[in-house]
Amino acid sequence: MLILTRKPGESVYLGDNVKITVVEIKGHQIRLGIDAPRDLRIYREEIYEQIREENRQAADTGTTSQGLDRLSSTWKGKSGGTSKVGKLSTSVPVEAGDGAKSSEEHKPTGDRAEKSDVVARRKKRSE
Amino acid sequence: MSEEHSEDPTIVVKSSRFGDLTVPADSVIELPTGLIGFSRTQRFIMLEHKPPFSWLQSIDEPELAFVIVDGGEFGEEYVVEPPFGDKDIDLQEDDDFAVLVIITVRPDPKETTANLKAPVFVNLRNKKGVQIIFDHPALSTRFPLWAQDSQEGQEPSADSLQVGVDASSASENDSSSTEQD
Repeated sequence: MLILTRKPGESVYLGDNVKITVVEIKGHQIRLGIDAPRDLRIYREEIYEQIREENRQAADTGTTSQGLDRLSSTWKGKSGGTSKVGKLSTSVPVEAGDGAKSSEEHKPTGDRAEKSDVVARRKKRSE
Repeated sequence: MSEEHSEDPTIVVKSSRFGDLTVPADSVIELPTGLIGFSRTQRFIMLEHKPPFSWLQSIDEPELAFVIVDGGEFGEEYVVEPPFGDKDIDLQEDDDFAVLVIITVRPDPKETTANLKAPVFVNLRNKKGVQIIFDHPALSTRFPLWAQDSQEGQEPSADSLQVGVDASSASENDSSSTEQD
């Protein structure tokens, strides 16, 4: 790890596009200002770790989908219109683990025509 | 559909949950930076389960799959700013996009939760996606899908989303915060 010492008002450049400035020191807290391109994602470490852990737990979902079936049968969502996720789905029937029914048995509302448009469209690849 | 199917290129995706699946090659969703904590798994397909649930199945790792709900299921209160101009997905202002919310399934259905804090945006034009974290106290990593105080008994719904309520994040109790000026 590179260690630098800065006083309030002093800065550090990371490459050409990112500048970190020590704005103020108040007691044990340091306020940092960061100038960076808008699409550079900047996160407090504890938030980043929190998401990493939640992703990990979400990935641990086993094949048991009975819990999902129960939620599904009484789900009251707010989506009135076309599900965007539906536009991404492949029209492939799936049966998950124990007892989940294949997706052919429930038709997504109104999505079929749009889905085949998406499937037929050529995907642009930038390699 | 079967006639077109034989002419369009397909790929086989091996899934530990669903077996071997033959899918159109252009249904692949690419996350150039993967998911947070899963940066090396970048290629996925989406498989519909029972509504509102779908599976985001990794092509690179047969055992890796995430349960997904469309962000629209959480209504107008769920407001997240799309990453326009993001280089990973090249999202332009007039591009249509999907907001994928990752669900953490727990053995008790009443404890199944949605990560509203870190959805995945997918550009529908090029099928590229990126997971973005919103460091905002109103957005929980563990939004319960099972409404807690429904008067008709306990039913799953998106109704319990309240802006300003976040039970899961401990960090907002300390004085560290993120500000934008």
